[in-house]
Amino acid sequence: MTRDELNLHRLIKEANHTQLGAYTRRHFLKESAMGLGALAFGSLLGSCARPSNSTQQIVFDPAHPLLPKSPPFLGKAKSVIYLHMAGAPSQLELFDYKPELEKMSGQDCPESLLKGKKFAFITGVPKMLGPQAKFAQHGESRAWVSDNLPHFSTMVDEVSFLKAVTTDQFNHAPAQLLMHTGGARLGKPSMGSWVTYGLGTENQNLPGFVVLTSGGSFPDAGKSIWGSGFLPSVYQGVQCRSEGDPVLFINDPDGMDRDLRKATIDAINASNEQEYAYYNDPEILSRISQYEMAFRMQVTAPDVMNIDNEPQYIHDMYGTQPGKACFANNVLLARKLVEKGVRFVQLFDWGWDAHGDAPQNSLNIGLKNKCRSTDKPITALLLDLKQRGLLEETLVIWGGEFGRTPMLENRNGAANPYNGRDHHTEAFTMWMAGGGIKKGFTYGETDEIGYSAISGKVEAFDIQATILNQLGFDHEKFTYDFQGRPFRLTDVAGKVIHDIIA
Amino acid sequence: MKVFRRNKMLVLLAVTALVGFGVFAFPHEDPIDFNTQVKPIINKKCISCHGGVKQQSGFSLLFKEEAMAATKSGKPAIIPGNPDDSEFIKRLLAKDTEERMPYKHEALSDEEINIFKKWIKQGAKWGEHWAYLPVKEVEVPTDGANWAHNALDRFIYQKLEDAELKPSKEADRATLLRRVSLDLIGIAPPETLAKTYLDNADSNKAYEQLVDTLLASPAFGEKWASMWLDVARYADTKGYESDGPRNIWKYRDWVIRAFNDDKPYDQFITEQIAGDFYVNPTDEQYIATAFHRNSMTNDEGGTNNEEYRVAAVIDRINTTWEGLLSTTFACVQCHSHPYDPIKHDEYYKFMAYFNNSRDEDLPTEYPLLKQFKPDMDAKLNQLTTWLKENVSQEKSREIYKFLKTGQPTINSTTTDSLRNAVIGSNNIALYFRNHGEARIAAVDLNRVDQMLYHFASKVSGGRMQLHLDRADGPVFASWNVQAKEGYQIQAVNFPMQQGVHDVYITYQNASKDKGDAILVFFDWFYFTDQFPGKGKIGYAEQQKNFWTLLEAEPASATPIMVENPQNRQRKTFVFERGAWTSPGKEVQADVPAAFKYAMPKDAPKNRMGLAMWLTDERNPLLSRTMVNRLWEQLFGTGIVETLEDMGTQGMEPTHRELLDYLSWQFMHNYKWSMKRLIKELVMSATYRQDSRISDELKEKDLFNKLYARGPRIRLSAEQLRDQLLSVSMALSPEMYGKGVMPWQPEGIWNSPYNSAKWENATDDDRYRRAVYTYWKRSAPYPSMITFDGAQRVVCNPRRIRTNTPLQALVTLNDSAYIDLARHFVDRMQQQKEQHVNEQIAQGYEWIMYKPIPAEKLKILSNLYQTAFDEYKKHPDRMTSLVGDKHKKNTESAALLVVANTMFNLDEVVTKN
Repeated sequence: MTRDELNLHRLIKEANHTQLGAYTRRHFLKESAMGLGALAFGSLLGSCARPSNSTQQIVFDPAHPLLPKSPPFLGKAKSVIYLHMAGAPSQLELFDYKPELEKMSGQDCPESLLKGKKFAFITGVPKMLGPQAKFAQHGESRAWVSDNLPHFSTMVDEVSFLKAVTTDQFNHAPAQLLMHTGGARLGKPSMGSWVTYGLGTENQNLPGFVVLTSGGSFPDAGKSIWGSGFLPSVYQGVQCRSEGDPVLFINDPDGMDRDLRKATIDAINASNEQEYAYYNDPEILSRISQYEMAFRMQVTAPDVMNIDNEPQYIHDMYGTQPGKACFANNVLLARKLVEKGVRFVQLFDWGWDAHGDAPQNSLNIGLKNKCRSTDKPITALLLDLKQRGLLEETLVIWGGEFGRTPMLENRNGAANPYNGRDHHTEAFTMWMAGGGIKKGFTYGETDEIGYSAISGKVEAFDIQATILNQLGFDHEKFTYDFQGRPFRLTDVAGKVIHDIIA
Repeated sequence: MKVFRRNKMLVLLAVTALVGFGVFAFPHEDPIDFNTQVKPIINKKCISCHGGVKQQSGFSLLFKEEAMAATKSGKPAIIPGNPDDSEFIKRLLAKDTEERMPYKHEALSDEEINIFKKWIKQGAKWGEHWAYLPVKEVEVPTDGANWAHNALDRFIYQKLEDAELKPSKEADRATLLRRVSLDLIGIAPPETLAKTYLDNADSNKAYEQLVDTLLASPAFGEKWASMWLDVARYADTKGYESDGPRNIWKYRDWVIRAFNDDKPYDQFITEQIAGDFYVNPTDEQYIATAFHRNSMTNDEGGTNNEEYRVAAVIDRINTTWEGLLSTTFACVQCHSHPYDPIKHDEYYKFMAYFNNSRDEDLPTEYPLLKQFKPDMDAKLNQLTTWLKENVSQEKSREIYKFLKTGQPTINSTTTDSLRNAVIGSNNIALYFRNHGEARIAAVDLNRVDQMLYHFASKVSGGRMQLHLDRADGPVFASWNVQAKEGYQIQAVNFPMQQGVHDVYITYQNASKDKGDAILVFFDWFYFTDQFPGKGKIGYAEQQKNFWTLLEAEPASATPIMVENPQNRQRKTFVFERGAWTSPGKEVQADVPAAFKYAMPKDAPKNRMGLAMWLTDERNPLLSRTMVNRLWEQLFGTGIVETLEDMGTQGMEPTHRELLDYLSWQFMHNYKWSMKRLIKELVMSATYRQDSRISDELKEKDLFNKLYARGPRIRLSAEQLRDQLLSVSMALSPEMYGKGVMPWQPEGIWNSPYNSAKWENATDDDRYRRAVYTYWKRSAPYPSMITFDGAQRVVCNPRRIRTNTPLQALVTLNDSAYIDLARHFVDRMQQQKEQHVNEQIAQGYEWIMYKPIPAEKLKILSNLYQTAFDEYKKHPDRMTSLVGDKHKKNTESAALLVVANTMFNLDEVVTKN
């Protein structure tokens, strides 16, 4: 048995031998949410009792903006882990197997594929480029996965692939914004903000919407990609660091213990209540609740955000690198957070922009390295969630902001020094798992060279609609009034992808 | 609120129309207003398919001429005066879902369709968006005399009356003192000033004196610069990828000085846009142009300099429009503006203004303004005077410019036709191997008999040649390379040439084999004539001066704008779909047609001409934008809330007439004086109101859009830090200079290929005002970014205020804030008052200028006792809390806990 297989085996064994009940979310709710936890619990029960077609309005309570709320109908998913590979991974080297493209490799790109098209970098006539990886079919679903993802290929029967995702944005920042905020320009709330606005969060001791970046650089679109846009700012993503303090300034000053900190916060809030009595400004109430939350975060977050207390074989499974800001650590942390009742965990990995202009941006070196650093943790995440009984209520999404061209990139009319592909808007692959999504299913198809979507075409709005649907929202009715009109995450578009719903 | 009411009225009207007269009859109908009634429906329901981006079926509603023109069907869709025959209306009413518009979307409401019908019936009159028309003088409303301090208040009063609201009474003096100090100088007022104000019996006079003193304080510029630095996307690093350092802080200091000197806004803008176009620009005028050198540059190996040069130019266009003109212009890069009257090619016409600056995304950041040490400055002065007297004014200017800006040199990165040569990392400089050759394209050799060049070669035995037109063309200069460690400047003389030629530079070294070793590094070339004035008295001395200055290490070098010389102008093309790699037709510098009326007749087609257009009194946007911005700084929200967009997609102004009134005043009566405008705002009764929210206001106007109360806003990141610096008496009075590094946690800086480190300051730099904090774009100072500081990657026209637990964590736990609390404890304990309650009360009053309410004192006093008992029990904790440099006893530790608490009170982090 290889080490990985051994770990896998041990995990399954452990799962079988553990009282699963001890690890359910409600347990943590009771254990950790203190006073408000009871409220939260009550509200959850309430959601079970309410008829599923209820269309209640979301009420924004500035004093308790993050209390759990029940969705209009009973969603299958309670939380979301969204894995975004910033830079846009090549579908042609991972999931979208195109033997025909292999045959055309090295030939000039037919004019029909270039005429009237816009690319980020390609100019002139590039050569076609066959798959730069070996493909095989896996699992009962016989899904094609390349040898770039040896671990993930064992999980294909857990996921639904979307093979024909399209976008209309071919630059990173706008495409990322479109994917996460429903608008290519700045100013709209991110998906995580919408979700925490609509559902609150189950653990009042932790932020409801947590953002984890794998070290390196921020996504191209910057922090607005997890911003709250026109929603109240309390719904913006909270970036947690995997290096140093998990959340900046979460530790008390040296020499001040927790009780004293509690006393200071009580004093601040008591004083602020008087301030409210005088000024009548709801912003003060909001501040009071922010200070309460700040204290609860201080108590809870350092422990939850510390992955060190996970057993060694879990670390091995995920391939973590202790003390580093890396994707594997974040994936493990994401599982912990979801387990503790965080509503939306957004991960950003970086460096997937395989243009071929440099070794780290090439299909044969850079992409393979990115796959190596993410394959194991993502696989471990699905397995781990599953074994803990959390996969059914946790929606996991994987994808980039667009796809890559079947052509070799020829920047400025000359071939790049390494094999790479340009940004491509007309077809790329994403997958979703858990949270009521079909298992071992593929939706959508591209043409024989993976250039265009030919069936089952979906766009960012459809994915957003589906995510909201799984959480219990009709995306067309889930609105927020701004500038005199109701705004939606999905703007004026979006169709739930019913085909992939179990 | 007003808008809301109007909509309700419309519904009512429409319903009345339907019920009373049937759908097709509109007797006595009200005139339809295009801007407020028709355009919003077009923007919301039609424009995405029939506008700037797409023109389905050849029909567009973006411009009047497009809307009225024949569509693909051959007929116009809108027939003015005849709604029933207009295809436009027919299609809205069609039964067939394939026919009915909006295509595959919900049908328009009857109300909306009726508006369109009436509009067409009334002649389909097109309207100009208010913000695109010149500012006119506005009549001041007459009501409100009893309350108003100035004309501004009359406008406010009128709207309050409409809404049946009454203004609030004036805030108490203490509140006003703190409010206006934080607003004007960003820190607590000096003690004596506060006392003078509070003790003066004549409150009105005292207030005006206070305002005048604050406006005259040097701290004024330090406060107001921050706002402008957001617009200017000022930062101390370059931005992309490795995000390396940039030495451009002189620009920040220029902005502070400009505010303190009350530089008129038209001049403020002109110098920043076109300072290098003045005759004999001063250093300050050059440094002002760094405004547009704040765009990001990319030093990443392998990146294309031209690509990022273009990106920087595009950033300059967008910043100019968004920051100076409240117009979102970026979308026009790829297609005509989807909502506003700006066409695709007009973006590139505008680009042509910015497309001829010398900067080329080089890691060296050329062009740089060199500022010399005093002894060198004296030499420079001597030299230019000598040249003026012995050669010519023109030559004197040319040489001055060359020595100060290093321009107009040719960067070695722009050479091509390389053999045995390479542009290092594709973007750094030209490198030669043995037998290297490169082309310097299209050099104007008229009246040229010398080449100066900046290069490095430590290998002896090399020989260089300059060839005309071909690598093997006629040799017109030939010389041996003097080997030396490091970069040097050399001059090569040759016989006077004529015409424009490609110049090929070649290198041979007989002592070396052909190989991959790099033997020569080039930086720039400069074709000129030999130092003039041969035979005149002082020639030798001045030539020596010239070389001394040329080789001198300057005291500072700041990136600035310098224009390409006439003989090396870049052409500008429309980029198809916004891609710089797809140039379309060539365009000449111009402003969008919709705004051309504001272009002065004699304006040149360059950045100076652009500045003339920007600052022309007819320019509808410059004045309005700045008035709106200054208003927002004081009142928390702009008159147009979307500071970045006054176009048809921006929010409606709450007080359009007031905005125009102030904009007119700003240009005409205040002569663009920002201090006068700011004074007008803070002197108003509107500004001076109490900020308490009555239950009525809470219900009717929670967001204070009508200004029935004073502003109550959380302090900005800078105000928050600076206030506590000042009340704790830790504030360093030092102004200007390089960015400083106050305390920040480990591990914030994390850029690839960049080993730069944040070195926590240990001296007084810890206590400098926030505006001096070193600003790294990819990792800005965390406590400031948590309080909504702008990242300054691109133009940040507006900060959105948030309220989050992470902010609480900063003021509770950030060591920088604990440190300030220690200083505050020192100050409280220095007082004669022995009892701790008096110390606490005094501390509170230092921040709030009013006595602490008894209940609050009790809370803090109890907290003190709790902390005191705690530290009595655990004296070890005391030491780590109070630090090394402060009094270590139980009292100070407990008081520190109180100070830390005080710093977190709502009233302390808020401007009441």
